[in-house]
Amino acid sequence: MTAALGRFLILASVLVSTTGAIIAYAAGAKRSPEGLRWSQRFAYAFAALMLAATGVMEYALITHDFSVEYVAHVGSTQVPLWVTIVSLWSSLEGSILFWGFILGIYIAATTWINRNDHQEYMPFAIGTWLSCGAFFSFLIAGPANPFLTIANPQLDGPGPNPLLQNHLLMIIHPPMLYLGYVGMTIPFGFAIAALLRGRLGQSFLRPLRASLLLPWVFLTIAIMLGGWWAYEVLGWGGYWAWDPVENASLLPWLTATAALHSAIVMERRGVLKGWTVTLIQASFLLTILGTFMTRSGVFNSVHSFTQSAIGPTILIFLAAVLLFSVALLALRIDSLEAEGKLDSAVSREGMFLVNNLFFVVLTFTVLIGTCFPLIVEAIKGKQMSVGRPYFDAMVVPIGTALLFLLGVGPALPWGKASRKEIQNALLPPLITGAIVLIVGYAMGVRNGWTLLTLLFGGYAAHVTFAQMWLPLRQRLKRGDSFGPALLDAQLRRGRRRFGGYIVHAGAVLVFVAIAVSSTMRTQQEASLTRGQSTTFAGYTVTYIGSEERAEPHRKSTIARFNITKDGKAVTTMEPRMNQYAAMREPVGTPAVYSTIAGDYYISIMNMQGDQAGVLIINMPMVGWIWFSVLMMGAGGLIALIPARRRTYVVVPETAVATGDGAVA
Amino acid sequence: MNRTVLIIGVIIVALVVFVLFAGLGKDPQHIDSPLIGKPAPSFALKAVGTGETVDLATLRGKPVIVNFWATWCGPCYEEHPTLVANARNLPNVQFVGVVFNDTDDKILRFLSERGSAYPNLLDTNGKTAIAYGVGGVPETYFINPAGVVVAKFEGPLSTELLQENLAKALR
Repeated sequence: MTAALGRFLILASVLVSTTGAIIAYAAGAKRSPEGLRWSQRFAYAFAALMLAATGVMEYALITHDFSVEYVAHVGSTQVPLWVTIVSLWSSLEGSILFWGFILGIYIAATTWINRNDHQEYMPFAIGTWLSCGAFFSFLIAGPANPFLTIANPQLDGPGPNPLLQNHLLMIIHPPMLYLGYVGMTIPFGFAIAALLRGRLGQSFLRPLRASLLLPWVFLTIAIMLGGWWAYEVLGWGGYWAWDPVENASLLPWLTATAALHSAIVMERRGVLKGWTVTLIQASFLLTILGTFMTRSGVFNSVHSFTQSAIGPTILIFLAAVLLFSVALLALRIDSLEAEGKLDSAVSREGMFLVNNLFFVVLTFTVLIGTCFPLIVEAIKGKQMSVGRPYFDAMVVPIGTALLFLLGVGPALPWGKASRKEIQNALLPPLITGAIVLIVGYAMGVRNGWTLLTLLFGGYAAHVTFAQMWLPLRQRLKRGDSFGPALLDAQLRRGRRRFGGYIVHAGAVLVFVAIAVSSTMRTQQEASLTRGQSTTFAGYTVTYIGSEERAEPHRKSTIARFNITKDGKAVTTMEPRMNQYAAMREPVGTPAVYSTIAGDYYISIMNMQGDQAGVLIINMPMVGWIWFSVLMMGAGGLIALIPARRRTYVVVPETAVATGDGAVA
Repeated sequence: MNRTVLIIGVIIVALVVFVLFAGLGKDPQHIDSPLIGKPAPSFALKAVGTGETVDLATLRGKPVIVNFWATWCGPCYEEHPTLVANARNLPNVQFVGVVFNDTDDKILRFLSERGSAYPNLLDTNGKTAIAYGVGGVPETYFINPAGVVVAKFEGPLSTELLQENLAKALR
């Protein structure tokens, strides 16, 4: 019964999204206000159907209705309620339904927010979103249908993938990632609308930028949560392995970050329109590529879902959207002609260009590294893998160059500047850079890249801080009193700018924390018998003993260590080794003791009788990464809060648009 | 129509689709073994229970199936009955279990509870597993009567998969 209702809702959503998309495109071509209103209704209807279908699935999961195939596949009466609820996204079919759910919310919300605005573009945007909606509804209705029924249902199920059950981060990481991934559909729809219309007006930049910034914030946090989860759960002492699927989440983030920057130049100077649109298209396409990577079984990864038949379907969709985007871009890029031009290379906008270049180079570097094994196997039939050495060698220099730009770019004025102005802007921050460098050296940093990161980091921190509070200083100089000036300069009128610099400050900290934690880490392997101690990095580790714990889905060996410093008890750490019923390899869960200075990390290598082989890692500053990325996200949100409506009258774009933009 | 954009775009589309399409249908977990077509690395290990030494070299003349496993491995429990049943049905094939990272008493308990039909050898320090390049357990190597490795299988075997790989050793 439940399954039938779910199937009905999905079929209805295939119908609604397809019809809605056709109506919306037609409304756009005919510039019909009535057609736009109808496409809005279809957008809301699609969202309602997706919401209802997801509700039906959650109901089936919570009531353990094992006649629904997906519930039989991932449900279990033995797991806690939160696991049952989140198992919606623990396996392939459910995760695609969850995708549709989030897409529905995004489409309905964006349609509603812009219900009276941007009438020139909205029909095409809604048409594009609903086309994506139609594809995902089709996936849910066909190749990845979670609502199939089982004739003779079993009494209990296996529960979701055990790895997903052992950390609470599993509740937050996937939804954040989906919010980031799926959200890229919205700016893509706007970009396609601008291309179809053949123009990108100044007033349309605001929704375009906001729709890009929101998923960017989610994606930023999701990537960090993924790294944090790997660090806390997988026991190899790292947070980033250049795993294909980690790369898949990074790729759209890189192009979206580039697009956010080029959009600023577009807004200030009226140039780079075609380029920004291309970056937005690329961001969306890379999310689809990422979906393909996780769900086609082509790449080997922690994240791979079981091999499934939806790979070819997603590949066809990817190819179709790629071709459509390329053709449209080729057809219309020249009509988005520049309204201004760049005056000087050594200027803020010049640095934005270099920034974009580096982000794109970085995207290609990571993409090629990720796909290279596939290319080699396709051409030469040989297996190979591309690992850390390639990525580190390529990404570290480009990343360091980006950090350099993060300091120099905002320091430079817009437009043409005299030699003296440039010197005045660029030289003072060098002092802060030098101080940070010297402090780092005094604290033992010797790695060349890390020292360079400290120099550039200090420089960028100086510039960021000065820029962040510049509007406040200007108002204080003018004689405003502190309180109102602070509110107005940072949170009211200067909010976007202020948020942007918070993101930059977070980014500087991330760069420094990654450089320090990866090059300053020390580790030691030790084999301890019960009662034996070893001293490493200032702490004494004593092996107390171990216990075995059997749970339905895994057997765990938990070792207990007492940690003391200078004879005083600090903490007890309990790393464990888990053997899951369905996995070929045991999985260790490390124990981590975090302080502001860094993390002390113990992971079990092997356990034999009274002996415990452990890996102890001392990693300075690693916790700063999580914190600083959150700061980046917060900055993005501050910049996102909509500014108050301007008071001047906006001339509707439809009134000034001439007939030449009409779609053939 | 901007031709440069179109041409570059179409090239990118073609490359991406070609590479991804070529990857479809392959199992990324699978790693080709460099041992295929090469003589099987020799080993002489003591059998659990009997203490008898089994030397791979003395097994020439009939196909040998070497199954790497351990008592701490979940899928090995699933696979065990298939191996035992096939070993009983195929008297002309020599089955050998190689157990690593494990202890005698645990293996004996496992075998007494679940039955056994062929020698299981304890791989002290995992030297044999390393020589074969075992990536995880269970993992099974098929050796032909001339002592050459003809196939490798990762994960639990079913009777069909076992027969399919064994056919290569009989060719």
